[in-house]
Amino acid sequence: MNLDQLGYHEQNLIWTGLTVLFIIVTSTIVGLIASFILRMAGASEQEQRRAFWGFSFAGPWIVGFLIFVLGPAIASFYYSFTDYKVGQPLKWIDIENYRTLLLGEGAHGRRFKQALFNSFYYTIIGVPLQIMASLGMALMLNREGFGIRWFRTVYYLPVILAGSPAALLAWRYMLNPNGGFINEALKRFAEAFFVFDYLYRGFIYIFEGFNGFYIGITRGNPVGPLKYTLPAVIAVLVLLALLGEWTRGKRSLATRSAELLSIAVAYNMMSIGLVSTRVDLSWTYFFGLLLLALVIANGAQGKRLLVKVWQIGGLSMVALSAFMTLRRADYALDNPDAQKYLIALLLVAAPIVVSFFGVWDRRKLQMMGGLAVILVLIILIRVIPGQLDGDGLRPIGSYLTFGTTIKDAKDVDYLEDIHPYEYLSVHWVYGLVILSLMGIALLNNYPRQRHYLLGGSLAFFGLLALGSFLDGQAYFNAFDDIAKAAGRPNYHFALFHQVTDVFPDKDRVPLWMNNELWSKPSLVLITMWSSGAGMLIFLAALKGVPRSLYEAAEVDGANTLQKFFKITLPMISPAMFYNVVIGMIAALQTFESVYILRTTQNEDSLASAAYFLFVRTFRQLSIGQGAAASWILTVIIVTLTILQFRYSQWVNYEV
Amino acid sequence: MKRVLSLLVLAVMAFGLLPLGGNTAPEPAVAQDQDTLEIYITGLTEDTLNWFRDVAFPAFREAKGDDSLQLEILTGGWGDFDVTVAGWITTGEGPDIVYLGSEYAATYGDLLADLDPYLADWEELDQFLPAALDTVTWDGHLRGLPLLMSPRPIFYRTDLAADPEAVPPMTFEDALSFVEANSAVADGAMQQMGFMDIGSGLFDAQEFIAYIWSAGGELYYEDGTSAFDSEETAEALQYMYDRRRIMMPTETTAGLPPIEGYPIASGSVVSGIFPMWNMPATSDPIWENIAIAPYPAGANGEPVVQVFIDWLSVPEYVEDPSLAVDFLKFIGSQENAIALSTVAGFTPVRQDAWEELRSNNPVWDQLLQAAVDYGRAFSDIRASAELRPLIVEQVNLYLSDQQSLEDTQLFLKEEYDAILEENGYLD
Repeated sequence: MNLDQLGYHEQNLIWTGLTVLFIIVTSTIVGLIASFILRMAGASEQEQRRAFWGFSFAGPWIVGFLIFVLGPAIASFYYSFTDYKVGQPLKWIDIENYRTLLLGEGAHGRRFKQALFNSFYYTIIGVPLQIMASLGMALMLNREGFGIRWFRTVYYLPVILAGSPAALLAWRYMLNPNGGFINEALKRFAEAFFVFDYLYRGFIYIFEGFNGFYIGITRGNPVGPLKYTLPAVIAVLVLLALLGEWTRGKRSLATRSAELLSIAVAYNMMSIGLVSTRVDLSWTYFFGLLLLALVIANGAQGKRLLVKVWQIGGLSMVALSAFMTLRRADYALDNPDAQKYLIALLLVAAPIVVSFFGVWDRRKLQMMGGLAVILVLIILIRVIPGQLDGDGLRPIGSYLTFGTTIKDAKDVDYLEDIHPYEYLSVHWVYGLVILSLMGIALLNNYPRQRHYLLGGSLAFFGLLALGSFLDGQAYFNAFDDIAKAAGRPNYHFALFHQVTDVFPDKDRVPLWMNNELWSKPSLVLITMWSSGAGMLIFLAALKGVPRSLYEAAEVDGANTLQKFFKITLPMISPAMFYNVVIGMIAALQTFESVYILRTTQNEDSLASAAYFLFVRTFRQLSIGQGAAASWILTVIIVTLTILQFRYSQWVNYEV
Repeated sequence: MKRVLSLLVLAVMAFGLLPLGGNTAPEPAVAQDQDTLEIYITGLTEDTLNWFRDVAFPAFREAKGDDSLQLEILTGGWGDFDVTVAGWITTGEGPDIVYLGSEYAATYGDLLADLDPYLADWEELDQFLPAALDTVTWDGHLRGLPLLMSPRPIFYRTDLAADPEAVPPMTFEDALSFVEANSAVADGAMQQMGFMDIGSGLFDAQEFIAYIWSAGGELYYEDGTSAFDSEETAEALQYMYDRRRIMMPTETTAGLPPIEGYPIASGSVVSGIFPMWNMPATSDPIWENIAIAPYPAGANGEPVVQVFIDWLSVPEYVEDPSLAVDFLKFIGSQENAIALSTVAGFTPVRQDAWEELRSNNPVWDQLLQAAVDYGRAFSDIRASAELRPLIVEQVNLYLSDQQSLEDTQLFLKEEYDAILEENGYLD
């Protein structure tokens, strides 16, 4: 029988019948497999029967998942290691796609890096604002009264409309810098109230300065000594929080902060070092030391699961490094560089392997501490002659004494050379922060020593933060002076300088979608408008807060703010957690709004990671690199989600 | 119970396999395909699609003398075009004829059937504008047939121009003077634009390529590498930068208020590049005050009018393109070319179809004369899907004072060469 000889309707009927048949057959097979597995495991007849029927009915979903989700996912994972372009022969290229994207190499790598930064902007700036907007709306609507349901509907409506092209285009009209509703309203207010005028221009000044700086970083503009300021400020903030009476929560804060920073450093090293040429061996040892410290810290606290995670995760990374080393075209076992690197990896892996054996008693801790000291000695032997003389630790010493590293700056190229953006030396500061925090956590039972370490670290990182900030300022000024003297525009953080050199004139307006300084905030604004879904979740949570808690607080004399922060927020924290997780995932997957609102002027500043992979895959037909981008995005989303669950102690599930 | 069910399932499986297993020897695919001709058409109006469906195809069926022949038109926009066509080409299954834009011959290249064996001896091919035939040629072979063309000149409002005698400026220098005389900025916002590009901003990637050409440059050297490091590219970039700074003294200057209707008719735009569908109807009296002219030229170049060609191709996966090619020839006939251009609002690519159009309509007459005098097809743009974002990124950085001219040329050259190599355009 030839189906093509039949009419369309008959063909459709037959295909529908065959599809139903396929679903029945495959679902039954799923049930039979489940039943068979249980029989092998020695389950009773009744359990087998239950499994058969249960899995048979779940079969359509399971089969659908295998065919439409798992199958394509495996295929895309495979493609991500190839140079698959539609119409061209497919070639296996190892991790070349990942390397290009993570290192930001070439036009595509650079654009992916920028797209990732844009997605982070939507996440870090957009999600908190969206949460605040939805919580604010929920608090306003959490009362009974005439027409309240109507208001709730009105506030929810944008959720349905937000993704529609018509609503997004309406936003584009409203956000038109010249004559758009929003700017016209702002202008009228500014004309009517001079105080508002100054506040408004001040807001533009700060906002454009912040966005100009952010864009500079995304473009890879070197930030000079300021890159040392960030880890130092993080350290100061965490250390300040650890001051005062020592509690279990503070110990946990020290450990978890160290863990988070370690993950960040490990990720950075993975992206910069592991997939690029090769990591300096000092970094390999330092990375091993960090891993070992995390294993010891968790082992000392009896956290078996976390010990396993760091042991297995660490060894996997070591194995991957060794594998990649040998996969490199110019590396083989007889290559001296490869041999050195493999020996370093062995030395890093050895203490972690040792940590698998025995129970975590005092003796084992001492032994592990001894192995850590050996790694420290190796690092010091490697570092002291090379790094003190070079650009590694020297700047840190300079900042501690408020010295500067740019005294003899002659031209812009020189400045860029001494403070390149991806320079790894800043990781020494991150490493010191991690070691300091882990040391404080390990000195749990030694209050005096802990006190000294805490005070010393605070002074050290405080000086480092201040010194590097002052030098950062000198660096920026030097850049300006040199550029002006040379009569060339200042391309270093050009947008930042354009908007911060002069305070906005009276007629300045936000340029919204027409300018890269404002395009991302515009998108965040539109996202905030559609915060109704989060509002509904908050509204339901607010309804569940027992009235008796407020009454008890009122009896104790609590004011409105105290009731909000001590009762409302903790009680709705599960809803908050849900909104944060969902909001973050949605923000990292931002696509439709970018697709509709992009123009020639704002495309690069608006493009999200999801938009990048769409363009790369479906516009430019580079399936391999598009697949790699999608897997990187997946790993980021999964990692951030796991971290959110891991650090969700602030969520209160008690009623 | 379970055994009974298992047997039942096996029986059902066996039954399900019957129609497939019992399949008699399949008839040749060609014979089946010829019953239905599938065409994918992008971005044309409903009236045009109806013309294909209700006028052209019945006539074609009659000419073929085959009443069983069916036509199926698949439609889509340029927005989802790449995804759709990529899907067909990846799976090797899709429509017999695909409507393509100007730069797609280089994009799909060998994925489109070589139509030389079917079209080389067709005597009517001489009537097609040579630039249009170049557009549909890849690797020396015809990959389709040009269907419609859209010359894209610069339109000038002579009644708004400060000095009507200065219209049209034919050199970069004169064009800058013209823009300066006809632009106004007040209260940090543009009040009048001496020039507006097709995207209503101040820069467009296709326009940039046009200025390289009109400066006397090319996109590629003879060895196939990018010529973005040429003096002509520098001249084009400098011209676009100077023009931008006249209309937008700082990057924080706001643009024009939203324009309702046609920009050229708004009163705040004195000149600009627009496709004909974004211009008033040719019967509108405003055309008395609109001049049509080519893009200005650089010091060593000649003025240019970019010509965009829409064409019909036959994908390589079509086993026997003969029926599809017959349809292309039929649609490409003089009579159908005139009928289609009338309903679609585009210009036919056959020169013998212009006579009526030119004699009846002075606007089309001017437009086609400009295309004949200065026309250059927007074709042979290699790896265009990757080139456009690269140009947008790099030129935007230069125009907004974030990158020097030298660095812009260097990055354009280096990265486009890498793209060309990656896509197999360089040895």
